[in-house]
Amino acid sequence: MGYLSGIYAIWLRELKRAVRDRGQLVGGVSRPLLWVLIMGIGLNPYFRGEVYGEVRFVVPFTYLQFIFPAVIALNMMYTSVQSAVSVIWDREFGFLREVLVSPMPRAAVLFGKILGGTTVALFHGILVLVLARFADVTFSPTAWLKGLGLMILLGFALTSLGVVIANRVRTFEGFGVFSNAVILPLYFTSSSIFPLDPSLTRAQTVVIYPDWLVFLIQANPITYAVDALRGVFLDFNQFHPLWGPLLLLAMCLVFFLAALRDFRRA
Amino acid sequence: MQTAPGPIVEIDSVTKRYVRTVALDDISFDVAENELFALLGPNGAGKTTLIEILCTIQRGDKGSVQIAGLDVAKQSREVRKRLGVVFQEPSLDTRLTVAENLDFHGRIYGVPASVRRRRKEELLELVELAGWRDRLVRTLSKGMQRRLEIARALIHDARLLVLDEPTVGLDAQTRSRIWEYLRTLQQEREITVLVTTHYIDEVEDCDRLCIIDQGRVLALDTPQGLKNRYGYHLLRLTPQDEEVRHELRHRFGEALAERGKDLVMAAPEAEALKLIEELGDKLKAFFVERPSLESVFLSLTGYEVRDEVAGARERLLEFGRRGGEHTQ
Ligand SMILES: Nc1ncnc2c1ncn2[C@@H]1O[C@H](COP(=O)(O)OP(=O)(O)OP(=O)(O)O)[C@@H](O)[C@H]1O
Ligand SMILES: [Mg+2]
Repeated sequence: MGYLSGIYAIWLRELKRAVRDRGQLVGGVSRPLLWVLIMGIGLNPYFRGEVYGEVRFVVPFTYLQFIFPAVIALNMMYTSVQSAVSVIWDREFGFLREVLVSPMPRAAVLFGKILGGTTVALFHGILVLVLARFADVTFSPTAWLKGLGLMILLGFALTSLGVVIANRVRTFEGFGVFSNAVILPLYFTSSSIFPLDPSLTRAQTVVIYPDWLVFLIQANPITYAVDALRGVFLDFNQFHPLWGPLLLLAMCLVFFLAALRDFRRA
Repeated sequence: MQTAPGPIVEIDSVTKRYVRTVALDDISFDVAENELFALLGPNGAGKTTLIEILCTIQRGDKGSVQIAGLDVAKQSREVRKRLGVVFQEPSLDTRLTVAENLDFHGRIYGVPASVRRRRKEELLELVELAGWRDRLVRTLSKGMQRRLEIARALIHDARLLVLDEPTVGLDAQTRSRIWEYLRTLQQEREITVLVTTHYIDEVEDCDRLCIIDQGRVLALDTPQGLKNRYGYHLLRLTPQDEEVRHELRHRFGEALAERGKDLVMAAPEAEALKLIEELGDKLKAFFVERPSLESVFLSLTGYEVRDEVAGARERLLEFGRRGGEHTQ
């Protein structure tokens, strides 16, 4: 308990750095605009067409509505890169030592850092929510709160993951690789931009999408996070509605512990 | 020798080996409470390694270190509370302002807000950065950043301030100012200051000086004590006439060097003074140079002479060593 002020200091520092980082802010604003307004509106007409006269759609939404929750996840994923950059930055520019010789336990240091990253991620998620009106997504105040809860979990998990990866990346150069090799594949295979079941019954899924793709999507934990967000904001789930929150909790725990183990060893 | 209370730092046969180098080879010494203690050593002497072991961010292979009676390895958290550290490499957040860096430090050390504010102002005054409070650290000069780091290390109740080469790479004026701050802090806040450096001219005024090289302690004493023990007085004599010159040359032979009309030799203090007295009016003029720490350093490590083109001064010192009895 005695370390609350220290955790606060570390959290505050993460926030200040994020706010002063123009590039990060520009990305956080322009990315949702691109995905929601350009991609969403552009693909909207192709998303639902009647195939054989009368078709019962699994996804009763416009494309804009459908990808909207996924864009929240995407925007938050990019902030995890920032958290990772911040970890490397601290290490390379010596600031880490300032923290390491302080009486703060490592777990508290890490917790403060990840909490800071989570807050920044949450903020970037909310930037997307601001566009809800344009995407025709409406939801109740309760959904708002539930959504925030899920976003906090997602932010925490993603930031922890960012830290875990940062501990394995030696230089800033490794970074382009990181974002391309991790974020986009995770995003595209999370049933974010197309539903798992394109039209009718469950049986058709496997016929229409190849096994390997279905496998990738089902193995990707982000899939369930996106699904949980859809459940809250659109009231549409492709999986059991408890899967998302449970998996998010598990991710928070596993990634945080992994980050802590690395940090203790360093 | 020292009247101060028990030692605040006790280093007992600490050894640290990296893959191929022995960075610290059985180092033992104490630092007394409220002392301005300097650790002097050339590059690669093992200063940083020792400091990092003191600061609990490295472990020695052997030996033990106690700070304020606490074991560095076993009670590291307690040790850290009592320690203010300035690392060799800068460790400020250059994207935060001066004040933000200080606040951050105060918070992670759990300093109450009121104390933090007061200390912040006091220390900013001391290191002459009060007017820079809201500037991003990135926009400060290297010397200013260094001063800020010193201020930062003292926001909490540090009893021991450890600085690893705080003056390296700074101009002479900034260097001497930093030493002034250190002296002020040591006296006014009654803390112990342990500082490493490889500039000999800086350590003249410290209370005690430990010279290390290649991971070993070569000597440890007050600067004066070291000069008395390892330094030499330099005598420059101008003989009255040729006869005296001859006599002196005959008497001291190799130990005496000719420098124009003068004769030069190195000698321990007592001997030098006795000689001057004895020769008295056989001399037209004489000049005695007190031993400097440089000569101490040279006679201990044998550096410079070996490594540099021997200038006049070095040749004299080299000469002194050959003639002296106290050479190691
Ligand atoms: N991480 C390391 N791995 C291997 N060798 C090291 C490491 N750190 C230091 N050394 C070696 O240990 C010896 C002592 O290094 P140290 O950094 O303690 O010296 P120093 O007195 O601080 O030198 P400087 O004045 O250059 O800072 C050197 O020979 C150095 O090469
Ligand atoms: Mg060093």
